[in-house]
Amino acid sequence: MIGEISHFLSLSAVVILSLILIFNFFFFFAKIHPNQLSLSIRLFNQACWLVFISFAMYVYLAINDDFSIAYIASHSNSQLPIFYKVSSIWSAHEGSMFLWIVFLTAWSIFFINSLDDSHSLKKTTLLMVSLIILGFLLFLLLTSNPFERVLPFGAIEGADINPVLQDPALVIHPPMLYLGYVGFVISFSYITAYLFHGNFELEWEKDIKNWSLVAWIFLTIGITLGSWWAYYELGWGGYWFWDPVENVALMPWLAATAFMHSLYASSKSSVLKTWTMFLGILIFALSLFGAFIVRSGIIDSVHSFANDPQRGLYLLIFSGLITLLALGVFAYRIPSLNASKFVVSGSKESFLSMNNILMVTSIFSIFLGVTYPLIIEAINGEKVSIGPPYYNTIFAPLILITAIFIMASVDSLWQRSKPLKSYVYKTFFPVILTILFTYFVWHITETFSILSYIGIFSGSLILFTYLLRVLNNFFYKKFINKGSAVAHIGLGLLFLAVSLNSILSYEKNLNLAPGESIFVNESIKEFSFDDIKVLKASNHDVISVEVSLLQDGKNIFLNPQKRKYATRGQITTESSIYASILKDTYLTIGDQLENGSWTFALKINYFIKWIWFSASLMVMGMLITIIKKKAT
Amino acid sequence: MNKSLRFLIVLVPIIIFTFFANVLLIEEDEKFSKFNTKNFPLFELNDLNGIPVKYEYLDGIKLVNVWASWCITCLVEHPFLTKLSNANIQIVGLNYKDSNNKASAWLQKHGNPYILSIYDPRGDLAFDLGVTGAPESYLVIDNQVVAHIQGEMTPKKWETIFHPLIKKARNET
Repeated sequence: MIGEISHFLSLSAVVILSLILIFNFFFFFAKIHPNQLSLSIRLFNQACWLVFISFAMYVYLAINDDFSIAYIASHSNSQLPIFYKVSSIWSAHEGSMFLWIVFLTAWSIFFINSLDDSHSLKKTTLLMVSLIILGFLLFLLLTSNPFERVLPFGAIEGADINPVLQDPALVIHPPMLYLGYVGFVISFSYITAYLFHGNFELEWEKDIKNWSLVAWIFLTIGITLGSWWAYYELGWGGYWFWDPVENVALMPWLAATAFMHSLYASSKSSVLKTWTMFLGILIFALSLFGAFIVRSGIIDSVHSFANDPQRGLYLLIFSGLITLLALGVFAYRIPSLNASKFVVSGSKESFLSMNNILMVTSIFSIFLGVTYPLIIEAINGEKVSIGPPYYNTIFAPLILITAIFIMASVDSLWQRSKPLKSYVYKTFFPVILTILFTYFVWHITETFSILSYIGIFSGSLILFTYLLRVLNNFFYKKFINKGSAVAHIGLGLLFLAVSLNSILSYEKNLNLAPGESIFVNESIKEFSFDDIKVLKASNHDVISVEVSLLQDGKNIFLNPQKRKYATRGQITTESSIYASILKDTYLTIGDQLENGSWTFALKINYFIKWIWFSASLMVMGMLITIIKKKAT
Repeated sequence: MNKSLRFLIVLVPIIIFTFFANVLLIEEDEKFSKFNTKNFPLFELNDLNGIPVKYEYLDGIKLVNVWASWCITCLVEHPFLTKLSNANIQIVGLNYKDSNNKASAWLQKHGNPYILSIYDPRGDLAFDLGVTGAPESYLVIDNQVVAHIQGEMTPKKWETIFHPLIKKARNET
């Protein structure tokens, strides 16, 4: 019964949203009557609340194990702890789409109600978000209905959540990511409304700035958590795989980052307005594209949901229409936007526009990497796969150019160029330090890979530029943009950590019987296989192995496991990690061989922690920017 | 320059969307016609009653359906399979990662559309066959796997993918 009410509430939201759109369509060209707007807002708020209540009821159903609902029956189980019962909702397509819509609705209702009633864009923005929410609700209810019942006989027990997903990270990674993705519906709708109205006197940047910054933070946290999860919990042995679904998350992130920089420039000096608007539209368009890629099953990936062309087609047509609507209005308005001043080369704006160009180039490269296999397959039916080598080769030079421009732009001025001499003076020390540092790394590691060294050089260039600047400004008590400095130091560290990780890390495959011990290398003098046990847990069997290592003069105990889950018969590998500041010692067990010995994969991963640390620095930088804005 | 730029901003997305729409539509049509025929893998397994299953059972036209008592969607497609079985389609069950007791009880409770069910608790045969989960269905003609669908067998999938191949095979003999 509650399932039907929940379903009905979602349907009512569809009806109300359609009413708003139809009603406003007929009266659009009439003069704005105050009641018309307040009626629309009221209806809109009610529709949003209906969606929230409907979702809350669905959560209630999941907690109370209503296995007559097909989706809950195939993704939950009565034995699960409550928070997994709730998070099982977003462990597959239908429920995660529902969550997506709830977040979309939440962002929209907050933003719409934050605008003044007299705001000239309020109505059009409201219509735009209503249209988007309506489209996705219809998608949910028509092609992927989470409320569907198994009738006449409901299941007695649920099929259980996929063991890989029985992890606290599932509770938080998808929601964070979705909050980021859909948060940009605000800039998208608002900019479209702005372009549609054509009143270019309006100061529009401040209305959406903080919203976009917050969405950026969620997106960054979401991507980082996904990477962290893959490394620590799923035991994939790495933190980034250039998997198509990672790529479609990275594209909106890059667009959002460019947008943030561009927004900063256009709020200071009214140039780059066209760029900013384009990027603001692009972010959400790329989020929609991502949703399409993941949910149509067009590309095989670890993340993709079941293949259903019908869903893909609906999403493609809907997101295509929405994007074209926004881009169409944008293209129509370009001539009236372009009236602004020219950009002085060497000024801060010129560097920020370079930043935009580089970011868009990266987005395009990733886009090409994602679609290239499809294009080739469409042309001659061959399957090709594009992996890390492609992305590494493309990104190394882009990162180098970015680093050089970041270095140059640090001390630049708005609307003015500076004499070349002052640049030489300012960049002298960072460049020297970077060269010394790179040489130092080479001296210590004695390995060489051109791509990694480009990364190390670029990373330390950004790092030293900002560190020196922070020191300098601290001693001379000059103004410094703290948020920007922290975020860029994070970026420099990220490049550095990723590159050092790629040249220093190594992997050993070992082969031991219980009780044996061997010498691995100079760092790991002893590797002993102490014990093996078979244990029974509530819903799985465990093969648990105890290993002790003598690493760098220290004794380390590791306990990797293999689990076999009863309900699905699935086998998962639980890696065991010993983490120190510089490196992680990462051990997984493989199979038993015929002579009774076991295979082990031992990985020494350097600077992994620094990757998460640098991502959190970027988030922190952004938080500082938001808090400072609020304070002033 | 401005004019062509404006034109491009709208044109490029249109091209991208048309491309993806084409890929989607072609995939739907061709995925099955492009299916590479392969021999049904050899196996040594019993049926649910403990009697060894002979490879010769897969002569003629057989629908091999992967099922399990823990699989909800299997219950959903069950009425349609029963209908097919009543229409003299021979369905061989592949009981996948299940226990004998539960599987037999399931068949007793809901009815048995299968001429026999191969008992594959470890998923060995399923692995060789390339099963990704339950339910899945394979069309096997004279020990050759000629078509494959994942997920629920619907009347639509049956009519568009399996039935034409069966008709063709019947006409040839």
